[in-house]
Amino acid sequence: MNEFLAFLDQVWLARFVILRGLGLTVSISLLAIALGSVLGVLVGLALTYGNRPLRFVVRAYTDFIRGTPVLVLVLASFYILSTIGIELNAFQAGVFALAVFCSSHVGEIVRGALQAIPPGQTEAAKAIGLTFSQTFTSVLWPQALRQMLPTWVNTAAEMVKASTLLSVIGVAELLLRTQEIISRNFMSLEFYFLAGLLYFAINYAIERFGKYVERKVSVPS
Amino acid sequence: MAIPFRAHALLLTTAMMVAAAPAVAQDKSKLDEVLERGHLVLGTGSTNAPWHFKSVDDKLQGFDVDMGRIIAKSLFGDPDKIEYVTQSSDARIPNITTGKVDVTCQFMTVTGERAQQVAFTIPYYREGVGLMLKADGDYADYEALKEAGSSVTVSVLQNVYAEDMVHAALPEASVDQYESVDLIYQALESGRSDAVATDQSSLAWYMTQNPDRYRDAGYGWNPQSYSCAVARGDQDWLNFVNTALHEAMTGVEFNFYADSFKTWFGKDLQPPQIGFPVEYK
Amino acid sequence: MGYTLNFSAVWRSFDQLLWGLLLSLELAIGAILIGAVIGLVTAFGLISKSGWARRPAALYVTVIRNLPILVLILFSYFALPQMGVRLGKIESFVATLAIYSGAYLAEVFRAGLLSIPNGLKEAGLAIGLTPMQIRTSIVIPLMFRNVLPSLSSTLISLFKDTSLAAAIAVPELTFEARKINVETFRVVETWIVASCLYVATCTVLAALMRMVERRLVISR
Repeated sequence: MNEFLAFLDQVWLARFVILRGLGLTVSISLLAIALGSVLGVLVGLALTYGNRPLRFVVRAYTDFIRGTPVLVLVLASFYILSTIGIELNAFQAGVFALAVFCSSHVGEIVRGALQAIPPGQTEAAKAIGLTFSQTFTSVLWPQALRQMLPTWVNTAAEMVKASTLLSVIGVAELLLRTQEIISRNFMSLEFYFLAGLLYFAINYAIERFGKYVERKVSVPS
Repeated sequence: MAIPFRAHALLLTTAMMVAAAPAVAQDKSKLDEVLERGHLVLGTGSTNAPWHFKSVDDKLQGFDVDMGRIIAKSLFGDPDKIEYVTQSSDARIPNITTGKVDVTCQFMTVTGERAQQVAFTIPYYREGVGLMLKADGDYADYEALKEAGSSVTVSVLQNVYAEDMVHAALPEASVDQYESVDLIYQALESGRSDAVATDQSSLAWYMTQNPDRYRDAGYGWNPQSYSCAVARGDQDWLNFVNTALHEAMTGVEFNFYADSFKTWFGKDLQPPQIGFPVEYK
Repeated sequence: MGYTLNFSAVWRSFDQLLWGLLLSLELAIGAILIGAVIGLVTAFGLISKSGWARRPAALYVTVIRNLPILVLILFSYFALPQMGVRLGKIESFVATLAIYSGAYLAEVFRAGLLSIPNGLKEAGLAIGLTPMQIRTSIVIPLMFRNVLPSLSSTLISLFKDTSLAAAIAVPELTFEARKINVETFRVVETWIVASCLYVATCTVLAALMRMVERRLVISR
């Protein structure tokens, strides 16, 4: 019992540190998701509508990213970019790596959603005289968006989990904060447990939100 | 099989990007660069007490951090003009060679192999392995442990050399290896081991945190030097850092060094003898 | 700072990388074998009518799927020994990865089990098989065939997750790459070679699994 009180005392002492770590974890994830989604939509469009050479290049990009562990992406972006003259600090390099990782996922989601739309619709749109950009913005994209939204929300949970890898390059997000606290008070069991609980809370909320979105956007059949 | 080709294409792109990177002439010393910038970029860790760790109010502190502060003080007259780059132990050398930090102070053991990649400063601490006992335990000191022979159990951090390391001091003792520092202390506390063998600095820190509960067995072995490190090829900058550290251990900044030593290792240092310089004795 | 690519230092240590790669593969395969058993048991729990079987299974899947794998790895290696569970680095990592993959495989197997038509089970009953025999000789083999594509993508992502073993100093591919970095500081070259090894292995794994799928496919 005494040990538990000592733990609570340590949590109280470290409350701002934990909150700051949590804040950074959330900002990393949001930034990575935002940048990765913008890039990913472009990737998805290129994969679906690009000409052959463009498709080949973009396919090589996504295959390469998806075949590489995220940790390797994080380490490589931290060390390679600065060696070739692009100065990014650990936070920027980490967000960059996660955004690249996210873009390959979102690219596949966008491609899948667009290709799932029956080609008859494009033909019908053409028949009533819509240009391709009109067809895309008012026929194809709204449907694709509806279909990919739930999967996209789950990608957010993946990003939160992947943000832990930034601790390896010294970004003080929740996991590194936890390790810093443990190095001071040696309570590894308690504080890893606490970190797990916090990550679970965030991701569980995202998962529930994803289920909610899925219900909202599903087309009644 | 498109992959080898794709990989090849990536290599080419990277090679082109590399070739396009501007070549900056290395005519100015890091010293001028740091002075112009107005602060020092110090590489260190954040998860190892008492070397480099976070205080309750989230400030980096520890003996390594203080060495950086000594360098910043000699540069700017202000020990706080530091930008910290926190890094894991295996990032120490890459972060120096890729120019992410001006200097790294992170309990770095000097070895010949490492000295071929980075330039080490003069040492600022001599680490060694020590033995810690419970204050009210069965054994009084190192001699008692040695006499007890095989009935002694020593807890140590998991490591390929752990067994040999302990047996160098206590040839017959049985060795229990644990995964983290807290566990080797717990083993001693719970009576599963009779002594803890680990870095004397860690032991000193633990004993200052838990006064009167433990004692040092009074024996040290496995010496190793801890030095800061800078990039190779800039003698001017290396000289400056060396001078700063040297004067902290023997000259005008001795009090800074001694205060830090007292805070983290709990021991008072004697001021260097006045008169003939200690270096030539 | 100008930079010229020079791979010679990496080629000198290429053996180390290959040994690391081999260990990565062993870790992934070990984890998926144990994980498949955990996943199968959990999947039967998930589709069970009894709440006593369903609820713990669902809890396990939800908890594990929402935790970062790195936190799980550090927890098992550094925190569990405090509770008396002491495993070596490799054992602890494989066990963690198995428990992690078990949660994902449980979902895969659940979908696979639900896709088996009831008529097959009834046919089994009709020829006098016990429910256990139906499970082991009809349902599970068919289910495995159906879920093979998901199983192969799980294997590939587990293989990539083995890079996290570097965090507890298991000498797999990423760990070896970081070691070469420290020894040679050819960071660009090392990471290029390491990621190419990962990508190539993933591609080969995917191709192998597709071959297995084609051999096992039920011709219709």
